[in-house]
Amino acid sequence: MTQAETQSENKLKTRDEVKVAVIACARSVNLEGELSATKLNGVNNCDVIQVPCSGMIQPRMIEAAFNAGADGVIAMGCQIGDCHFREGNKFCRERLLGQRPPMIKKTVPKRRLKGLWMSEVQVDDFKARVEDFKGYVAEQLVEEQKGN
Amino acid sequence: MLTSFVRSGQKVILRIEDTLNKVFSSEQNLLYYHGAMPNFCMWMLFLSGLLLFAYYTPTLEAAYQSVEYITNRLPYGDVIRGIHRYAADAMLLTVILHALRVYFTDRYREYRLIAWYSGVALSVFMLIIGISGYILVWDERSFTIVTKITDFLGSLPFIGSFLASAFLNGDVISNYTMSMSFFLHTGTSFALLVLLWVHYMRISRPVVNVTWAIGSLISGIILLFAGLFPAISGPEAKFTVEPSYFDIDWFYLWLFPLIDTVGNIGAWLVLIAGVTLVTLLPNFVRNHDKEPASVSKDHCVGCRLCSIDCPYEAIYMAPRNDGSKYKEIAVVIDDRCAECGLCVGACNFDAIELPNYKSPQVMDDIRIALQS
Ligand code: HEM
Ligand code: SF4
Ligand code: SF4
Repeated sequence: MTQAETQSENKLKTRDEVKVAVIACARSVNLEGELSATKLNGVNNCDVIQVPCSGMIQPRMIEAAFNAGADGVIAMGCQIGDCHFREGNKFCRERLLGQRPPMIKKTVPKRRLKGLWMSEVQVDDFKARVEDFKGYVAEQLVEEQKGN
Repeated sequence: MLTSFVRSGQKVILRIEDTLNKVFSSEQNLLYYHGAMPNFCMWMLFLSGLLLFAYYTPTLEAAYQSVEYITNRLPYGDVIRGIHRYAADAMLLTVILHALRVYFTDRYREYRLIAWYSGVALSVFMLIIGISGYILVWDERSFTIVTKITDFLGSLPFIGSFLASAFLNGDVISNYTMSMSFFLHTGTSFALLVLLWVHYMRISRPVVNVTWAIGSLISGIILLFAGLFPAISGPEAKFTVEPSYFDIDWFYLWLFPLIDTVGNIGAWLVLIAGVTLVTLLPNFVRNHDKEPASVSKDHCVGCRLCSIDCPYEAIYMAPRNDGSKYKEIAVVIDDRCAECGLCVGACNFDAIELPNYKSPQVMDDIRIALQS
Protein backbone atom coordinates (compact mmCIF):
# COMPACT_ATOMS: atom_id res chain seq x y z
CA MET A 1 0.00 0.00 0.00
CA THR A 2 1.40 3.41 -0.88
CA GLN A 3 1.38 6.40 1.42
CA ALA A 4 -1.41 8.05 -0.58
CA GLU A 5 -3.61 4.98 -0.41
CA THR A 6 -3.19 4.67 3.34
CA GLN A 7 -4.24 8.25 3.79
CA SER A 8 -7.27 8.13 1.56
CA GLU A 9 -8.29 5.05 3.49
CA ASN A 10 -7.70 6.81 6.81
CA LYS A 11 -9.90 9.66 5.77
CA LEU A 12 -12.90 7.43 5.52
CA LYS A 13 -12.50 5.86 8.96
CA THR A 14 -15.29 6.20 11.46
CA ARG A 15 -14.64 6.05 15.17
CA ASP A 16 -15.54 2.37 15.13
CA GLU A 17 -13.13 1.53 12.33
CA VAL A 18 -10.17 3.27 13.93
CA LYS A 19 -7.52 0.74 14.86
CA VAL A 20 -5.88 1.14 18.23
CA ALA A 21 -2.92 -0.68 19.74
CA VAL A 22 -2.48 -0.54 23.50
CA ILE A 23 0.97 -1.42 24.78
CA ALA A 24 0.15 -2.02 28.40
CA CYS A 25 1.83 -2.71 31.69
CA ALA A 26 0.58 -6.09 32.88
CA ARG A 27 0.09 -4.66 36.38
CA SER A 28 -2.11 -1.74 35.40
CA VAL A 29 -5.75 -2.36 34.37
CA ASN A 30 -6.56 -6.00 35.11
CA LEU A 31 -7.52 -7.50 31.75
CA GLU A 32 -7.99 -11.06 32.90
CA GLY A 33 -11.03 -12.36 31.00
CA GLU A 34 -11.22 -9.13 28.98
CA LEU A 35 -9.10 -10.27 26.05
CA SER A 36 -9.66 -12.73 23.22
CA ALA A 37 -6.06 -13.33 22.20
CA THR A 38 -5.01 -9.70 21.86
CA LYS A 39 -8.46 -8.24 21.09
CA LEU A 40 -10.12 -6.24 23.84
CA ASN A 41 -13.67 -7.52 24.43
CA GLY A 42 -16.43 -4.99 23.96
CA VAL A 43 -14.30 -2.51 22.00
CA ASN A 44 -13.86 -2.78 18.25
CA ASN A 45 -10.41 -2.87 16.70
CA CYS A 46 -8.42 -2.63 19.86
CA ASP A 47 -5.39 -4.84 20.40
CA VAL A 48 -3.59 -5.05 23.73
CA ILE A 49 0.01 -6.19 24.03
CA GLN A 50 1.22 -6.57 27.60
CA VAL A 51 4.72 -5.97 28.97
CA PRO A 52 5.92 -6.28 32.61
CA CYS A 53 6.04 -2.50 33.12
CA SER A 54 5.26 0.59 31.05
CA GLY A 55 8.89 1.60 31.64
CA MET A 56 9.82 -1.20 29.25
CA ILE A 57 7.99 0.37 26.32
CA GLN A 58 10.60 1.41 23.78
CA PRO A 59 9.91 4.22 21.31
CA ARG A 60 10.57 1.63 18.63
CA MET A 61 7.67 -0.48 19.86
CA ILE A 62 5.39 2.51 19.37
CA GLU A 63 6.80 3.05 15.88
CA ALA A 64 6.29 -0.64 15.13
CA ALA A 65 2.63 -0.36 16.09
CA PHE A 66 2.04 2.63 13.78
CA ASN A 67 3.96 0.94 10.97
CA ALA A 68 1.88 -2.20 11.36
CA GLY A 69 -1.29 -0.22 10.71
CA ALA A 70 -2.42 1.21 14.03
CA ASP A 71 -4.20 4.57 13.65
CA GLY A 72 -3.67 5.32 17.32
CA VAL A 73 -1.34 3.96 19.97
CA ILE A 74 -1.83 4.02 23.71
CA ALA A 75 1.05 3.42 26.12
CA MET A 76 -0.52 2.38 29.39
CA GLY A 77 0.96 2.13 32.86
CA CYS A 78 -0.26 2.39 36.43
CA GLN A 79 -1.30 5.66 38.05
CA ILE A 80 1.67 8.03 38.13
CA GLY A 81 3.10 7.60 41.62
CA ASP A 82 2.13 3.96 41.89
CA CYS A 83 4.55 2.10 39.63
CA HIS A 84 5.27 -1.34 41.09
CA PHE A 85 8.84 -0.80 39.95
CA ARG A 86 8.78 2.73 41.33
CA GLU A 87 9.65 4.80 38.27
CA GLY A 88 8.61 2.92 35.13
CA ASN A 89 5.50 4.93 34.31
CA LYS A 90 7.25 8.25 35.01
CA PHE A 91 9.98 7.36 32.55
CA CYS A 92 7.42 6.20 30.00
CA ARG A 93 5.51 9.47 30.32
CA GLU A 94 8.72 11.47 29.95
CA ARG A 95 9.50 9.57 26.76
CA LEU A 96 6.03 10.26 25.38
CA LEU A 97 6.61 13.95 26.15
CA GLY A 98 10.01 13.87 24.48
CA GLN A 99 11.82 14.59 27.73
CA ARG A 100 13.78 11.38 28.16
CA PRO A 101 15.99 9.35 25.85
CA PRO A 102 15.58 7.30 23.77
CA MET A 103 13.48 9.84 21.87
CA ILE A 104 10.45 9.03 19.80
CA LYS A 105 11.05 9.64 16.07
CA LYS A 106 9.64 12.87 14.62
CA THR A 107 7.76 10.84 11.99
CA VAL A 108 5.52 9.30 14.66
CA PRO A 109 2.14 11.09 14.67
CA LYS A 110 2.31 12.38 18.26
CA ARG A 111 -1.30 13.49 18.31
CA ARG A 112 -2.43 9.94 17.79
CA LEU A 113 -0.21 8.67 20.58
CA LYS A 114 -1.53 8.72 24.12
CA GLY A 115 -0.27 7.88 27.58
CA LEU A 116 -2.87 6.37 29.91
CA TRP A 117 -2.21 5.81 33.60
CA MET A 118 -4.71 3.57 35.31
CA SER A 119 -4.77 1.11 38.16
CA GLU A 120 -5.76 -2.52 38.25
CA VAL A 121 -9.30 -1.78 39.37
CA GLN A 122 -10.21 0.70 36.60
CA VAL A 123 -11.37 -1.75 33.90
CA ASP A 124 -14.57 0.04 32.87
CA ASP A 125 -12.88 3.41 32.97
CA PHE A 126 -10.20 2.03 30.70
CA LYS A 127 -12.66 0.88 28.03
CA ALA A 128 -14.40 4.24 28.07
CA ARG A 129 -11.07 6.02 27.65
CA VAL A 130 -10.17 3.82 24.68
CA GLU A 131 -13.50 4.67 23.03
CA ASP A 132 -12.88 8.39 23.62
CA PHE A 133 -9.42 8.07 22.17
CA LYS A 134 -10.76 6.32 19.07
CA GLY A 135 -13.13 9.22 18.49
CA TYR A 136 -10.27 11.65 18.92
CA VAL A 137 -8.07 9.70 16.49
CA ALA A 138 -10.87 9.69 13.91
CA GLU A 139 -11.05 13.50 14.18
CA GLN A 140 -7.28 13.77 13.99
CA LEU A 141 -7.21 11.72 10.80
CA VAL A 142 -9.66 14.13 9.24
CA GLU A 143 -7.59 17.11 10.45
CA GLU A 144 -4.40 15.59 9.10
CA GLN A 145 -6.13 15.02 5.76
CA LYS A 146 -7.18 18.69 5.60
CA GLY A 147 -3.68 19.79 6.51
CA ASN A 148 -2.21 17.99 3.49
CA MET B 1 -5.03 -18.30 51.78
CA LEU B 2 -2.31 -15.79 52.59
CA THR B 3 -2.18 -14.81 48.93
CA SER B 4 -5.90 -14.16 48.68
CA PHE B 5 -5.78 -12.17 51.92
CA VAL B 6 -2.98 -10.03 50.50
CA ARG B 7 -4.80 -9.69 47.18
CA SER B 8 -7.92 -8.35 48.86
CA GLY B 9 -5.78 -5.98 50.92
CA GLN B 10 -4.25 -4.73 47.71
CA LYS B 11 -7.68 -4.15 46.15
CA VAL B 12 -8.73 -2.08 49.18
CA ILE B 13 -5.56 0.03 48.95
CA LEU B 14 -6.00 0.54 45.19
CA ARG B 15 -9.62 1.62 45.66
CA ILE B 16 -8.62 4.13 48.34
CA GLU B 17 -5.85 5.43 46.08
CA ASP B 18 -8.28 5.64 43.19
CA THR B 19 -10.55 7.84 45.29
CA LEU B 20 -7.64 9.98 46.52
CA ASN B 21 -6.52 10.43 42.91
CA LYS B 22 -9.96 11.74 42.00
CA VAL B 23 -10.10 14.12 44.95
CA PHE B 24 -6.49 15.32 45.14
CA SER B 25 -4.92 14.23 41.78
CA SER B 26 -2.11 11.72 41.66
CA GLU B 27 0.53 14.42 42.31
CA GLN B 28 -0.96 15.06 45.75
CA ASN B 29 -2.00 11.52 46.63
CA LEU B 30 -0.91 10.92 50.21
CA LEU B 31 -0.47 7.21 49.67
CA TYR B 32 2.01 7.81 46.86
CA TYR B 33 4.21 9.47 49.47
CA HIS B 34 4.01 6.58 51.90
CA GLY B 35 7.79 6.61 52.53
CA ALA B 36 8.19 10.38 52.37
CA MET B 37 5.57 11.09 55.04
CA PRO B 38 7.39 9.36 57.93
CA ASN B 39 10.56 10.98 56.67
CA PHE B 40 8.94 14.41 56.85
CA CYS B 41 7.71 13.72 60.40
CA MET B 42 11.20 12.61 61.34
CA TRP B 43 12.71 15.91 60.25
CA MET B 44 10.03 17.78 62.18
CA LEU B 45 11.10 15.74 65.20
CA PHE B 46 14.78 16.50 64.69
CA LEU B 47 14.04 20.20 64.35
CA SER B 48 11.68 20.50 67.31
CA GLY B 49 13.95 18.16 69.28
CA LEU B 50 16.91 20.46 68.64
CA LEU B 51 15.00 23.39 70.16
CA LEU B 52 13.96 21.32 73.19
CA PHE B 53 17.54 20.11 73.54
CA ALA B 54 18.71 23.70 73.96
CA TYR B 55 16.78 24.12 77.23
CA TYR B 56 16.51 20.57 78.56
CA THR B 57 18.63 19.38 81.52
CA PRO B 58 18.98 15.62 81.96
CA THR B 59 19.27 15.36 85.74
CA LEU B 60 16.82 14.08 88.34
CA GLU B 61 16.67 17.47 90.07
CA ALA B 62 16.40 19.69 87.03
CA ALA B 63 14.73 17.63 84.27
CA TYR B 64 11.13 18.23 85.32
CA GLN B 65 11.67 21.94 85.94
CA SER B 66 13.48 22.40 82.62
CA VAL B 67 10.54 20.85 80.78
CA GLU B 68 8.15 23.06 82.74
CA TYR B 69 10.27 26.08 81.83
CA ILE B 70 10.11 25.16 78.15
CA THR B 71 6.35 24.64 78.33
CA ASN B 72 5.30 27.63 80.41
CA ARG B 73 7.94 30.32 80.04
CA LEU B 74 9.70 29.93 76.74
CA PRO B 75 7.87 31.79 73.95
CA TYR B 76 6.13 29.13 71.87
CA GLY B 77 7.82 26.49 74.01
CA ASP B 78 4.50 24.72 74.51
CA VAL B 79 3.96 24.67 70.76
CA ILE B 80 7.40 23.20 70.13
CA ARG B 81 6.79 20.56 72.78
CA GLY B 82 3.40 19.76 71.28
CA ILE B 83 4.90 19.46 67.82
CA HIS B 84 7.54 17.09 69.15
CA ARG B 85 4.91 14.94 70.84
CA TYR B 86 2.45 14.73 67.96
CA ALA B 87 5.05 14.50 65.19
CA ALA B 88 6.22 11.36 66.98
CA ASP B 89 2.71 9.91 66.86
CA ALA B 90 2.32 11.03 63.24
CA MET B 91 5.61 9.40 62.33
CA LEU B 92 4.57 6.06 63.77
CA LEU B 93 1.16 6.30 62.15
CA THR B 94 2.65 7.03 58.73
CA VAL B 95 5.27 4.31 59.19
CA ILE B 96 2.47 1.82 59.82
CA LEU B 97 0.69 3.07 56.70
CA HIS B 98 3.93 2.76 54.74
CA ALA B 99 4.61 -0.77 55.98
CA LEU B 100 1.03 -1.89 55.29
CA ARG B 101 1.15 -0.45 51.80
CA VAL B 102 4.45 -2.07 50.83
CA TYR B 103 3.24 -5.35 52.32
CA PHE B 104 -0.18 -5.48 50.70
CA THR B 105 1.00 -4.26 47.31
CA ASP B 106 3.67 -6.96 47.30
CA ARG B 107 6.57 -4.54 47.45
CA TYR B 108 8.41 -6.12 50.35
CA ARG B 109 10.27 -9.24 49.24
CA GLU B 110 12.85 -10.63 46.82
CA TYR B 111 15.03 -7.74 45.65
CA ARG B 112 13.45 -5.50 48.30
CA LEU B 113 14.59 -7.56 51.32
CA ILE B 114 17.14 -5.02 52.53
CA ALA B 115 14.42 -2.37 52.70
CA TRP B 116 12.10 -4.74 54.55
CA TYR B 117 14.64 -5.88 57.15
CA SER B 118 15.94 -2.38 57.78
CA GLY B 119 12.31 -1.25 58.03
CA VAL B 120 11.68 -3.73 60.84
CA ALA B 121 14.81 -2.47 62.62
CA LEU B 122 13.62 1.12 62.14
CA SER B 123 10.34 0.34 63.90
CA VAL B 124 12.11 -1.29 66.86
CA PHE B 125 14.39 1.74 67.15
CA MET B 126 11.37 4.03 67.06
CA LEU B 127 9.87 2.17 70.00
CA ILE B 128 13.09 2.67 72.00
CA ILE B 129 13.15 6.38 71.11
CA GLY B 130 9.51 6.80 72.09
CA ILE B 131 9.77 5.06 75.46
CA SER B 132 13.00 6.82 76.43
CA GLY B 133 11.46 10.14 75.38
CA TYR B 134 8.70 9.73 77.93
CA ILE B 135 11.33 9.12 80.64
CA LEU B 136 13.00 12.48 79.98
CA VAL B 137 10.03 14.47 81.27
CA TRP B 138 10.58 12.95 84.72
CA ASP B 139 7.02 13.06 85.90
CA GLU B 140 5.28 10.19 87.71
CA ARG B 141 4.74 8.38 84.46
CA SER B 142 8.49 8.53 83.74
CA PHE B 143 9.17 7.02 87.14
CA THR B 144 6.78 4.13 86.47
CA ILE B 145 8.36 3.56 83.06
CA VAL B 146 11.85 3.37 84.56
CA THR B 147 10.86 0.87 87.24
CA LYS B 148 8.85 -1.26 84.83
CA ILE B 149 11.55 -1.26 82.16
CA THR B 150 14.15 -2.21 84.76
CA ASP B 151 12.02 -5.19 85.83
CA PHE B 152 11.23 -6.01 82.21
CA LEU B 153 14.90 -6.11 81.23
CA GLY B 154 15.85 -7.88 84.45
CA SER B 155 13.35 -10.65 83.82
CA LEU B 156 15.40 -12.00 80.92
CA PRO B 157 17.45 -15.08 81.78
CA PHE B 158 21.28 -14.78 81.74
CA ILE B 159 21.62 -11.24 80.36
CA GLY B 160 18.72 -9.75 82.32
CA SER B 161 20.62 -8.28 85.27
CA PHE B 162 23.29 -6.93 82.96
CA LEU B 163 20.70 -5.16 80.79
CA ALA B 164 18.85 -3.81 83.80
CA SER B 165 21.95 -2.27 85.34
CA ALA B 166 23.06 -0.98 81.95
CA PHE B 167 19.70 0.74 81.61
CA LEU B 168 19.80 2.19 85.14
CA ASN B 169 23.45 2.97 84.54
CA GLY B 170 24.17 1.68 88.05
CA ASP B 171 22.25 -0.21 90.72
CA VAL B 172 19.70 2.47 91.52
CA ILE B 173 17.88 5.27 89.72
CA SER B 174 20.28 8.19 89.58
CA ASN B 175 21.42 11.04 87.38
CA TYR B 176 23.26 8.41 85.39
CA THR B 177 19.91 6.83 84.61
CA MET B 178 18.81 10.14 83.14
CA SER B 179 21.97 10.35 81.06
CA MET B 180 21.30 6.86 79.77
CA SER B 181 17.73 7.67 78.82
CA PHE B 182 18.88 10.87 77.18
CA PHE B 183 21.46 8.90 75.25
CA LEU B 184 18.94 6.21 74.27
CA HIS B 185 16.61 8.94 73.04
CA THR B 186 19.04 11.03 71.01
CA GLY B 187 21.62 8.37 70.11
CA THR B 188 18.97 6.02 68.75
CA SER B 189 17.45 8.94 66.83
CA PHE B 190 20.73 9.49 65.02
CA ALA B 191 21.01 5.75 64.46
CA LEU B 192 17.75 6.08 62.50
CA LEU B 193 19.70 8.04 59.90
CA VAL B 194 22.20 5.23 59.53
CA LEU B 195 19.39 2.69 59.22
CA LEU B 196 17.68 4.87 56.64
CA TRP B 197 20.87 4.92 54.63
CA VAL B 198 20.67 1.12 54.64
CA HIS B 199 16.93 1.36 53.89
CA TYR B 200 17.62 3.32 50.69
CA MET B 201 20.70 1.35 49.72
CA ARG B 202 19.11 -0.56 46.85
CA ILE B 203 16.61 2.10 45.87
CA SER B 204 17.56 4.54 43.12
CA ARG B 205 16.20 8.03 43.71
CA PRO B 206 13.97 7.21 46.72
CA VAL B 207 10.98 9.53 47.06
CA VAL B 208 11.97 11.12 50.38
CA ASN B 209 10.24 14.49 50.07
CA VAL B 210 6.55 15.19 50.34
CA THR B 211 4.95 17.93 48.25
CA TRP B 212 4.38 21.38 49.75
CA ALA B 213 0.68 20.65 50.03
CA ILE B 214 1.16 17.35 51.84
CA GLY B 215 3.84 18.82 54.09
CA SER B 216 1.52 21.69 55.02
CA LEU B 217 -1.32 19.26 55.66
CA ILE B 218 0.76 17.11 58.01
CA SER B 219 2.20 20.15 59.81
CA GLY B 220 -1.28 21.60 60.10
CA ILE B 221 -2.72 18.47 61.66
CA ILE B 222 0.19 18.22 64.10
CA LEU B 223 -0.21 21.90 65.06
CA LEU B 224 -3.92 21.42 65.50
CA PHE B 225 -3.36 18.56 67.93
CA ALA B 226 -0.64 20.52 69.72
CA GLY B 227 -3.15 23.34 70.20
CA LEU B 228 -6.16 21.24 71.14
CA PHE B 229 -4.40 18.75 73.40
CA PRO B 230 -1.29 20.49 74.75
CA ALA B 231 1.53 18.17 75.76
CA ILE B 232 1.77 18.52 79.51
CA SER B 233 3.56 16.71 82.32
CA GLY B 234 2.00 14.86 85.20
CA PRO B 235 3.12 15.55 88.78
CA GLU B 236 6.88 15.54 89.24
CA ALA B 237 8.36 12.15 90.12
CA LYS B 238 9.33 11.85 93.80
CA PHE B 239 11.05 8.88 95.39
CA THR B 240 8.79 9.27 98.40
CA VAL B 241 5.48 9.23 96.52
CA GLU B 242 3.88 6.19 94.90
CA PRO B 243 3.32 7.31 91.26
CA SER B 244 -0.28 7.22 90.13
CA TYR B 245 -0.36 9.38 87.00
CA PHE B 246 0.03 7.37 83.78
CA ASP B 247 -1.60 8.99 80.77
CA ILE B 248 -1.06 6.55 77.95
CA ASP B 249 0.26 7.24 74.46
CA TRP B 250 -0.97 4.14 72.67
CA PHE B 251 1.59 4.57 69.91
CA TYR B 252 4.66 4.20 72.07
CA LEU B 253 3.60 3.08 75.53
CA TRP B 254 1.45 0.02 74.75
CA LEU B 255 4.22 -2.16 76.14
CA PHE B 256 3.24 -1.23 79.71
CA PRO B 257 -0.40 -2.34 79.67
CA LEU B 258 0.91 -5.43 77.88
CA ILE B 259 3.36 -6.13 80.72
CA ASP B 260 0.56 -5.56 83.25
CA THR B 261 -1.61 -8.11 81.44
CA VAL B 262 0.76 -10.92 80.49
CA GLY B 263 3.75 -10.29 82.74
CA ASN B 264 7.35 -9.51 81.85
CA ILE B 265 8.19 -12.83 80.25
CA GLY B 266 4.86 -12.89 78.43
CA ALA B 267 5.55 -9.42 77.03
CA TRP B 268 9.00 -10.51 75.90
CA LEU B 269 7.46 -13.48 74.12
CA VAL B 270 4.87 -11.28 72.42
CA LEU B 271 7.54 -8.78 71.40
CA ILE B 272 9.98 -11.38 70.09
CA ALA B 273 7.26 -13.35 68.32
CA GLY B 274 5.90 -10.18 66.72
CA VAL B 275 9.25 -8.95 65.44
CA THR B 276 10.20 -12.43 64.22
CA LEU B 277 6.90 -12.87 62.43
CA VAL B 278 7.16 -9.53 60.64
CA THR B 279 10.81 -10.16 59.75
CA LEU B 280 9.97 -13.54 58.28
CA LEU B 281 6.92 -12.41 56.29
CA PRO B 282 8.90 -12.44 53.01
CA ASN B 283 9.66 -16.13 53.64
CA PHE B 284 6.01 -17.15 53.66
CA VAL B 285 5.68 -16.58 49.93
CA ARG B 286 7.50 -18.64 47.36
CA ASN B 287 9.75 -16.54 45.17
CA HIS B 288 9.47 -17.16 41.48
CA ASP B 289 12.51 -18.39 39.58
CA LYS B 290 14.84 -15.57 38.80
CA GLU B 291 15.17 -14.48 35.20
CA PRO B 292 17.19 -11.28 35.39
CA ALA B 293 17.96 -8.96 32.50
CA SER B 294 21.02 -9.82 30.47
CA VAL B 295 23.33 -7.71 28.35
CA SER B 296 24.52 -8.58 24.85
CA LYS B 297 28.23 -7.88 24.45
CA ASP B 298 27.83 -7.41 20.72
CA HIS B 299 25.15 -4.77 20.97
CA CYS B 300 25.98 -2.72 24.06
CA VAL B 301 27.53 0.64 23.18
CA GLY B 302 28.07 1.71 26.79
CA CYS B 303 25.62 4.62 26.66
CA ARG B 304 24.75 4.23 30.38
CA LEU B 305 21.05 4.91 29.88
CA CYS B 306 20.01 1.56 31.36
CA SER B 307 22.16 2.00 34.46
CA ILE B 308 20.65 5.44 35.03
CA ASP B 309 17.07 4.20 34.71
CA CYS B 310 17.35 0.98 36.72
CA PRO B 311 15.16 1.64 39.79
CA TYR B 312 16.94 -0.87 42.02
CA GLU B 313 20.60 -0.08 41.42
CA ALA B 314 21.04 -3.41 39.68
CA ILE B 315 23.20 -2.21 36.76
CA TYR B 316 26.72 -0.85 36.87
CA MET B 317 29.03 0.12 34.03
CA ALA B 318 32.24 -1.89 33.81
CA PRO B 319 35.27 -0.90 31.75
CA ARG B 320 35.71 -3.22 28.79
CA ASN B 321 38.93 -4.36 27.21
CA ASP B 322 37.74 -7.03 24.85
CA GLY B 323 38.86 -5.12 21.79
CA SER B 324 35.50 -3.40 21.37
CA LYS B 325 35.53 0.21 20.27
CA TYR B 326 33.30 1.07 23.23
CA LYS B 327 34.87 1.89 26.57
CA GLU B 328 32.20 0.51 28.90
CA ILE B 329 29.63 -2.25 29.11
CA ALA B 330 26.51 -2.57 31.26
CA VAL B 331 26.60 -5.35 33.86
CA VAL B 332 23.49 -6.61 35.67
CA ILE B 333 23.78 -7.76 39.30
CA ASP B 334 21.36 -10.67 39.09
CA ASP B 335 20.23 -10.70 42.74
CA ARG B 336 19.18 -7.07 42.66
CA CYS B 337 17.27 -7.30 39.40
CA ALA B 338 13.52 -6.82 39.66
CA GLU B 339 12.86 -8.06 36.11
CA CYS B 340 10.97 -4.85 35.44
CA GLY B 341 12.34 -4.11 31.99
CA LEU B 342 13.04 -0.43 32.63
CA CYS B 343 16.51 -1.01 31.24
CA VAL B 344 14.97 -2.48 28.08
CA GLY B 345 12.87 0.66 27.66
CA ALA B 346 16.01 2.77 28.05
CA CYS B 347 18.15 0.88 25.56
CA ASN B 348 18.00 1.86 21.92
CA PHE B 349 20.32 -0.92 20.75
CA ASP B 350 18.55 -4.16 21.70
CA ALA B 351 21.52 -4.70 23.98
CA ILE B 352 19.74 -5.54 27.23
CA GLU B 353 16.79 -7.90 27.37
CA LEU B 354 14.55 -9.79 29.76
CA PRO B 355 14.77 -13.48 28.82
CA ASN B 356 10.96 -13.82 28.82
CA TYR B 357 10.11 -10.57 27.08
CA LYS B 358 12.72 -9.94 24.44
CA SER B 359 11.99 -6.64 22.76
CA PRO B 360 12.11 -8.03 19.17
CA GLN B 361 9.52 -10.56 20.33
CA VAL B 362 7.30 -7.82 21.75
CA MET B 363 7.55 -5.96 18.43
CA ASP B 364 6.60 -9.12 16.54
CA ASP B 365 3.64 -9.58 18.88
CA ILE B 366 2.53 -6.04 18.10
CA ARG B 367 2.74 -6.63 14.35
CA ILE B 368 0.96 -9.97 14.50
CA ALA B 369 -1.80 -8.55 16.69
CA LEU B 370 -2.45 -5.65 14.35
CA GLN B 371 -2.49 -7.81 11.27
CA SER B 372 -4.96 -10.32 12.64
C1 HEM C 1 11.65 5.60 59.80
C2 HEM C 1 10.73 5.00 59.13
C3 HEM C 1 10.75 4.82 57.65
C4 HEM C 1 11.02 5.73 56.67
C5 HEM C 1 11.36 7.20 56.84
C6 HEM C 1 10.91 5.04 55.40
C7 HEM C 1 11.09 5.62 54.19
C8 HEM C 1 11.07 4.97 52.97
C9 HEM C 1 11.23 5.58 51.68
C10 HEM C 1 11.42 7.07 51.43
C11 HEM C 1 11.19 4.61 50.74
C12 HEM C 1 11.34 4.78 49.24
C13 HEM C 1 9.99 4.78 48.58
C14 HEM C 1 10.14 4.91 47.09
O1 HEM C 1 10.79 5.87 46.64
O2 HEM C 1 9.62 4.08 46.35
C15 HEM C 1 11.00 3.36 51.43
C16 HEM C 1 10.89 2.13 50.83
C17 HEM C 1 10.58 0.95 51.49
N1 HEM C 1 10.29 0.81 52.84
FE1 HEM C 1 10.44 2.26 54.24
N2 HEM C 1 10.59 3.72 55.64
C18 HEM C 1 10.47 3.55 56.99
C19 HEM C 1 10.11 2.40 57.66
C20 HEM C 1 9.78 1.21 57.02
C21 HEM C 1 9.20 0.06 57.67
C22 HEM C 1 8.82 -0.02 59.14
C23 HEM C 1 9.06 -0.91 56.71
C24 HEM C 1 8.52 -2.30 56.83
C25 HEM C 1 8.76 -3.12 57.78
C26 HEM C 1 9.55 -0.37 55.47
C27 HEM C 1 9.62 -1.05 54.29
C28 HEM C 1 9.99 -0.51 53.07
C29 HEM C 1 10.12 -1.26 51.85
C30 HEM C 1 9.91 -2.77 51.67
C31 HEM C 1 10.48 -0.35 50.84
C32 HEM C 1 10.73 -0.65 49.37
C33 HEM C 1 9.50 -0.29 48.57
C34 HEM C 1 9.74 -0.39 47.09
O3 HEM C 1 10.82 -0.82 46.67
O4 HEM C 1 8.81 -0.08 46.33
N3 HEM C 1 9.97 0.92 55.68
N4 HEM C 1 10.91 3.61 52.79
S1 SF4 D 1 21.29 1.17 27.45
FE1 SF4 D 1 21.88 -0.56 26.14
S2 SF4 D 1 23.64 0.17 24.99
FE2 SF4 D 1 23.34 1.61 26.70
S3 SF4 D 1 24.71 0.82 28.28
FE3 SF4 D 1 22.70 -0.11 28.65
S4 SF4 D 1 22.76 -2.07 27.54
FE4 SF4 D 1 24.47 -0.86 26.81
S1 SF4 E 1 15.08 -5.41 34.69
FE1 SF4 E 1 16.71 -3.95 34.24
S2 SF4 E 1 16.03 -2.00 35.11
FE2 SF4 E 1 14.77 -3.62 36.05
S3 SF4 E 1 15.87 -4.12 37.94
FE3 SF4 E 1 16.61 -5.56 36.37
S4 SF4 E 1 18.42 -4.57 35.55
FE4 SF4 E 1 17.31 -2.98 36.67
